[in-house]
Amino acid sequence: MSDQDTTGRARPEAIKAVPVRHPGRWLAIAVLAVLTAMFVHLLVTNDQFRWSFMFSSYEPGKRGVMFTEPVLEGLRGTILLTVSSMLIGVVLGVVIAVMRLSDNPILSWVAWIYTWFFRAVPRLVLAILFGNLNILWDRIGFGLPFDQQIGKLFGIDDLNAQFYSVKASDLLAGFVAGMLALGLSEAAYMAEIVRAGIQSIDPGQTEAAVALGLSRGQVLRRVVLPQAMRVIVPPTGNEVIAMVKDTSLVAFVPVTYELFFQLNAIKARTFVVLPVLVAAVIWYLIICSVLMVAQFFVERHFGKGYGAAGKARQKLQGIAAEQGGVASYQGPASGPGGAGI
Amino acid sequence: MTDEMVRAEAVHKSFGSLEVLKGVDLVVRPGEVSCVLGPSGSGKSTFLRCINHLEKINAGRIFVDGDLMGYRERGGKLHELKEKDVAAQRRSIGMVFQRFNLFPHMTVMQNVMEAPCRVKKENKAEVRDRAVALLERVGLGAKVENYPGQLSGGQQQRVAIARALAMRPKLMLFDEPTSALDPELVGEVLDVMKDLARDGMTMIVVTHEIGFAREVGDSLIFMDGGVVVEQGPPREVLSNPQQERTKAFLSKVL
Repeated sequence: MSDQDTTGRARPEAIKAVPVRHPGRWLAIAVLAVLTAMFVHLLVTNDQFRWSFMFSSYEPGKRGVMFTEPVLEGLRGTILLTVSSMLIGVVLGVVIAVMRLSDNPILSWVAWIYTWFFRAVPRLVLAILFGNLNILWDRIGFGLPFDQQIGKLFGIDDLNAQFYSVKASDLLAGFVAGMLALGLSEAAYMAEIVRAGIQSIDPGQTEAAVALGLSRGQVLRRVVLPQAMRVIVPPTGNEVIAMVKDTSLVAFVPVTYELFFQLNAIKARTFVVLPVLVAAVIWYLIICSVLMVAQFFVERHFGKGYGAAGKARQKLQGIAAEQGGVASYQGPASGPGGAGI
Repeated sequence: MTDEMVRAEAVHKSFGSLEVLKGVDLVVRPGEVSCVLGPSGSGKSTFLRCINHLEKINAGRIFVDGDLMGYRERGGKLHELKEKDVAAQRRSIGMVFQRFNLFPHMTVMQNVMEAPCRVKKENKAEVRDRAVALLERVGLGAKVENYPGQLSGGQQQRVAIARALAMRPKLMLFDEPTSALDPELVGEVLDVMKDLARDGMTMIVVTHEIGFAREVGDSLIFMDGGVVVEQGPPREVLSNPQQERTKAFLSKVL
């Protein structure tokens, strides 16, 4: 229906006004262009960067420093460490969040203590601490506590009630120590993120589920957590990216199987400082860029149908369905992601 | 089956120092529709939530179909029931909320199928057939694949009723089911409830819809200040209230 039909008047001429000028914007662009040119000039003309050392050959006949075997090995270690410590962090974090929200005061208190401790201690300190924790024990294993003391009570010297044990310095060192330090610390942060997510869900959801006869576990798994994911995913993405960078701390455990440690070693051996550091910067940039792309897709998946645009789209489809009776509209295009956990 | 579907004896409930229910007695027989009326803050919603043990009562007893809700009496002592046993008691009591409380991340179909499949572990195909039949009964056969966010308030509430019915309850509790709806959507929900009442479902309905109470209700309970002030056949109570407080309330809402 056009305007003429409804009002009987001709549509007035479209507005052609002179747009407002923005001289400030042009000035800013000019300044930034000059700065960018200076930066590119620096990268291209300054020999100290030694790009060939980085990309093509740092010793005759070898690959550039970014792609040498020890550095790639270290890169693998960094990625493995990120994945494994985030896994510990997420799983343990969910457990601690649920404990924290429990009606049981002891569970809730233990969860609070855990979060308090691991958030208070810097990750660097934790990494060094875990690297040296094996000083406490000769061997680590399963067995009866106080076995030797109880043995003495009954007049037996050296009662050994350990069922299985390994040398502490074998188990709790290097990679495992670094992974535990980062993973346990991460769990404290994840617990807070998950708790916020769970608490953001309307209590009416739990009530409706409980009234239907669902158990507490089912309410959490089927109703609360799938909805909480929308709130949990974005800060978790931040945590993953922060974790990639924090893996460089485990060099102090010490862990050698790690990107920055390997690059640092080359720096110490060759006395070439800047190119090696820039190589590290480039690798971290690449990893984080990949993760950011992944985060975008994960967020879009869990945010389906909830955003302002999604809501509007839903409304429109609802109205269309009401008027035209579109019999079975299929949800996946814009409905809230039914995938859940 | 006993001849009393719900029996409440001297039910007391406090939130901290605030006493919300001060001795509520009520009997609802199978197939009866009881409408609970009263000003806000009179404790009517709280009482409804006590019936399926969403709220723990501080004193008194509530029996549903002869079962003591939330406790087991043994040797003159009350023992709290385990969560699992309370859940089992709740299965046979359907509840409909003022704010619908549908699960927004599930389709209409998944909302209705969730409890029968997960709680009763029933055969999926059978549940699906039953869910389709229920959704058709509430007039939403065309919306099974929609998400709750795509439905109007009245449609959502009808889905919520179908979701409760899917568990084949012997008692339905309605907590102000039409209070959050636009006026023009109230009728469609009340029609579904009338249909349910005609089918012989035992219902307790907390409501402000006087017309519904008069037309469908077998008994009307007027609550104020945490007690039942007056009860009886709806027409009698509405046209000839005996208590001053009932008169005062009705004069404002009629």
